[in-house]
Amino acid sequence: MSKKTDNQTLPEDKLYPLGHTDDVEYSFTAEKGLTEGLVRKISSLKNEPEWMLEIRLKAYKKYLEMKMPTWGGDLSPIDFDDIRYYIKPKNQEAKTWADVPEAIKNTFEKIGVPEAERELLAGVKSQYDSEVVYGSLKKALSEKGVIFLSMDEGLREYPEIVKEHFGKVIPMGDNKLAALNTAVWSGGSFVYVPKNVDVGLPLQAYFRINTERAGQFERTLIIAEEGSKMHYIEGCSAPSFSSASLHAAVVEIYVKKNAKVQYSTVQNWFKNVYNLVTKRARVMENAEMRWVDGNLGSHLTMKYPSCILAGRKAHGEVLSIAWAGEGQHQDTGAKMIHLAPETTSQIISKSISKNGGRATYRGMVHMVPGAWGARSKVVCDALILDEKSRSDTYPVNKIQENDVVLEHEATVSRIGEEQLLYLMSRGIGAEEASTMIVNGFMEPVVKEIPLEYAVEMNRLVGLEMEGSVG
Amino acid sequence: MITQRFKLDKPGEIDLVVPFLTSFEEKEVLGVISATEPGDYKVRVVADHRVPNTFGRVVIKGVAANGARVTVDGMVKIGKDARKTDSFLEMRLLLLDKQSSAVAEPKLEIENNDVRASHAATVGKIDEDQLFYLSSRGIDEPDAKKIIVEGFLKEVTEE
Repeated sequence: MSKKTDNQTLPEDKLYPLGHTDDVEYSFTAEKGLTEGLVRKISSLKNEPEWMLEIRLKAYKKYLEMKMPTWGGDLSPIDFDDIRYYIKPKNQEAKTWADVPEAIKNTFEKIGVPEAERELLAGVKSQYDSEVVYGSLKKALSEKGVIFLSMDEGLREYPEIVKEHFGKVIPMGDNKLAALNTAVWSGGSFVYVPKNVDVGLPLQAYFRINTERAGQFERTLIIAEEGSKMHYIEGCSAPSFSSASLHAAVVEIYVKKNAKVQYSTVQNWFKNVYNLVTKRARVMENAEMRWVDGNLGSHLTMKYPSCILAGRKAHGEVLSIAWAGEGQHQDTGAKMIHLAPETTSQIISKSISKNGGRATYRGMVHMVPGAWGARSKVVCDALILDEKSRSDTYPVNKIQENDVVLEHEATVSRIGEEQLLYLMSRGIGAEEASTMIVNGFMEPVVKEIPLEYAVEMNRLVGLEMEGSVG
Repeated sequence: MITQRFKLDKPGEIDLVVPFLTSFEEKEVLGVISATEPGDYKVRVVADHRVPNTFGRVVIKGVAANGARVTVDGMVKIGKDARKTDSFLEMRLLLLDKQSSAVAEPKLEIENNDVRASHAATVGKIDEDQLFYLSSRGIDEPDAKKIIVEGFLKEVTEE
């Protein structure tokens, strides 16, 4: 066996085509480590109302009291004293594309935000480190009354809406990292869709980490009022750094009666990032929530998008793909909490592990007494591409009502020899055939992902499969 | 094929580790949980594959009634050296009334790629269509339920 590779060192450029850094000036960079003073400083730099400071301070105390979760991936290498908890870029939120600094434009060029998309997408809201520096909102959206701002702007301009919803789906004491996020959050998105409004085009955000040891603590709050419909897309691409970064985001979504929300994420963090994210939606009567979640990058991801199905006939879905390559552990899954009658849910999880990577599915379906007529189906499929890699499945199905249907199935396999043989008998080389099979395996989820991500995902599979057959 | 059976029909716990330590071993575990009294019924089964070329089947079927709480914690573990393992874990639970509950945890830990491993779990109530069919044949509901439960458990109880 080759000597253990240090996952903190950089893989070659070709393995990570999106790895790059740009020089950006920062107007405020916090000292490393977290203190009460820093929490106060963040709040005062942002000119926040007193109640938000109180929430932050309370959360900071909770964070100190709570224990780090030990049931998932190995979090022990994170040095929480070696992290900068707040960085403020020099340039404030730019209003038009022309105002966006050249260095940042270059980065967008490199990660390939398509020109056409900038025009087409309803609002391109991109996060550069701890503050939104570029945001534009198309006129049509404002006319519909849709609010799409950074969380900081949202708090400034709509404090009442934020106060009513902030920290209610994910309370600060939910887990230690949610407490940390609540104490030091910065950036993220605030979205409000009024009653019966169909947003139409997806709302899109790009998240990036750009400072060595920069912790990113985005906070996103989405409120879809009754009968509304929206699709939010979040994508991550972190440039290459040699020391571990931490990303601990919180996303809270309200899907009110008859509303429909889809939240799509493709995270492609660099392979030194700890990505520890809490995402949860509260889904009311006859409403639908769908999480589409692609996890390609990071050193360790722990993320379990959840739906609290609180209204009758609420529907929740999680479609996820995890790719665990060398030095990576993807500990991902889903949670569906059925609290009301006739609620339905579906979880489809696909994972691929390769080159010593580890892919873990961890999930929960809970049906409480009184949730009669509830139905849930969970399918977890795992592909292990070589003998060094590992796959685990840890589902919990807790059923406290008898008039329900729960189905759960999982399989773990490798690329079938019959499949390979068939493709090769048609004149396709072994490597290309393997790539085709892997892409076919992921297809049911990839087809739900916005096109540019699907293309990126297929390209990544091609790259990762290079030289893997022999 | 070696067949091992268990039956849990009083509140209590069964903890079963099925080791696969010899190549070409074939083992089957058939378990019945008949939980008709209030209380906790806990079953933990681990199929632990350590060597190449072994074959394992674990099938657990259970019914819960009268406030019984059933927990089935099943694990298929395939180690680094256990190439060409073929293992399947199945758990099917029927809840006969609103007072009863079930927790099904079908787990897999696979450290090797040359394997076939899968699990399936279902939890639910008696199929309405089956009940309707039997009642259309003049069988009253308690009897019909009994017949359906017997049929459901047959796979794991029959010698």
